[in-house]
Amino acid sequence: MYWVSVFTEAAIFAILALGLDMVWGWCGDFDLAFYGYLALGSYMTMVLTIGRPTPPVEYIIGWRLPYPLALVLADVAVVALAAVIGAIALRNLREIYFAVTTLGAVSVLYLIVENYTPLFDGYNGVYGLINPGQTLLHLTYDGYRVGFLGAVLVVLLLAYLLAQRLSRSPFGRMVCSVREDERASAAYGRPVFFVKYRAYLVGAAFAGLAGGLFAVFISAFNPSAWTPQELLLIYAAILVGGRGNPRGVILGTFVVYVGFIELTRYLPSPASRPDFGPALRQVLIGLLIILMLKFRPEGILPERAGGRQPRRPVPGQAPGLAAGPPAEPAGAVAGAGPASADPADQEGAP
Amino acid sequence: MTAALLEIEHLSKSFGGVHAVQDCTFMVPEGHVIGLIGPNGAGKSTVVDLVSGFGRPDAGSVRLAGQQLIGKRPDTISRLGLIRTFQTPREWRNLTVLDNILLAQCRFRRESLRESLLRARRIRREEDADRAVAQAILDRFQLGDLADERAVRLSGGQKRLLEFARIAAAEPRLVILDEPMGGVNPVLGVRIGEAVRGFADEGRTVLIVEHNLPFIERTCDQVVVMDLGEVIAQGPFSSLRDNARVVDAYLGMDLGRE
Repeated sequence: MYWVSVFTEAAIFAILALGLDMVWGWCGDFDLAFYGYLALGSYMTMVLTIGRPTPPVEYIIGWRLPYPLALVLADVAVVALAAVIGAIALRNLREIYFAVTTLGAVSVLYLIVENYTPLFDGYNGVYGLINPGQTLLHLTYDGYRVGFLGAVLVVLLLAYLLAQRLSRSPFGRMVCSVREDERASAAYGRPVFFVKYRAYLVGAAFAGLAGGLFAVFISAFNPSAWTPQELLLIYAAILVGGRGNPRGVILGTFVVYVGFIELTRYLPSPASRPDFGPALRQVLIGLLIILMLKFRPEGILPERAGGRQPRRPVPGQAPGLAAGPPAEPAGAVAGAGPASADPADQEGAP
Repeated sequence: MTAALLEIEHLSKSFGGVHAVQDCTFMVPEGHVIGLIGPNGAGKSTVVDLVSGFGRPDAGSVRLAGQQLIGKRPDTISRLGLIRTFQTPREWRNLTVLDNILLAQCRFRRESLRESLLRARRIRREEDADRAVAQAILDRFQLGDLADERAVRLSGGQKRLLEFARIAAAEPRLVILDEPMGGVNPVLGVRIGEAVRGFADEGRTVLIVEHNLPFIERTCDQVVVMDLGEVIAQGPFSSLRDNARVVDAYLGMDLGRE
């Protein structure tokens, strides 16, 4: 059962990482608000399913919706929040300015949630989402945990298929072009802000979904469950796996969560210093990031340049400017000028 | 003279106390190749930025085929048929050379989230056709063998050619080239001249900002001269040699000889 729970957590965070990768890997924006989206997804799922609060506990909404419906509504709330934060942070701010703005946004949210108790009961947080559907499905506790892992893996698979399809689509190519050179993208007709904004909202939707699943996994959520370090671990996972490659991102999450964190749990820990093990783990994760950056900055599975086209042998030597005849054209349209392109496909082209 | 495709009227822009562009007025007739020259700091690049939406003028008007461009975003202006380059090549570095061309083809409808998610099969079919066209364009610019390379790995000269290949893929009505000859060797320079004339032969209008005067003389039908933010002369290149203001602006440089 221990490993079931480890894998469940890793799979949930892999969904979050897929979403974060759309923002960081595809758009190139270092977003520090992202864990807030998971947190809000978790909180919202809770308050939509656990019913009315009994005083002195207080929180908003307090409905008893079926879990799947709550998951969807919670995700809508997350995307709405991301729409506000993204509209502020993505418009003109880039790089460190963007990162600081998102950090500020999530800090404000954090303070509000902590101190304004009618929202999510402040420091105490909300709890009580215990195994939705267990009685309905007549499952034992262990059976439910395994079943939940299966459900999370299915969601992860769907999220992966979605991310993979987008990353190889014209949409993904456009998003990456903005990362590579914004001004060039604008000069070729791409509305930079809206391109980034759309990718940001899709990424946030992934995070909200992960939050809703996380709510079931831990059955309670409070401010201490979302510290900034958690997000840095996700960044580490993306970096290790391969930024910009959905397959790599999932692999990286499992490597960091299952391989690294769980294995370092068995580090010897002197009885006099019980915090030695966890502290050492933080150090080792930092070391892992540094080593990855030094020796394989593109990650285990690097981003594929060039989407779908079949690989062709790359010539060893780049041909000089005056060198040789041009290579065989790939298709039958050799010599066809751009003017002969299918006019039906020209809508919107300059 | 044919009708004006680009009309710039009373354009002004200051940066702090510097009047980068002052009451600049000229027009670019459709189908012509026009050179925009002047000493450093004359305001040429600022004009290009203002026309293409990368800067907001303090005053003035810019019309493309009668349509007002001032106040529009760069991407909107681009979709109206104006493609500009920058002083340094701005390729999408970590995308492949072929992807650079596919992006420049500007198939915007296909890039919507809905299309990309739900129409994968049709998109794949269309992309295959576009890819063949893109490959043909690359072959035309001697970049065919490099289609699958990341653009960042091209040499400086190849990056210049990629800029021209992207313009060819975009099929714009108006091309604005900002110093296309910067850091270019003579052999490549000839090829760039041919590419510009090629655009003109296809019926595109070209505006070139350039310091290389022999190149301007060879390539352009007409020349606009700027100095200190103002247009000081306009006409065929040969007419400028005797223009005192132009000669003065260039500090007595011998125009047309290297």
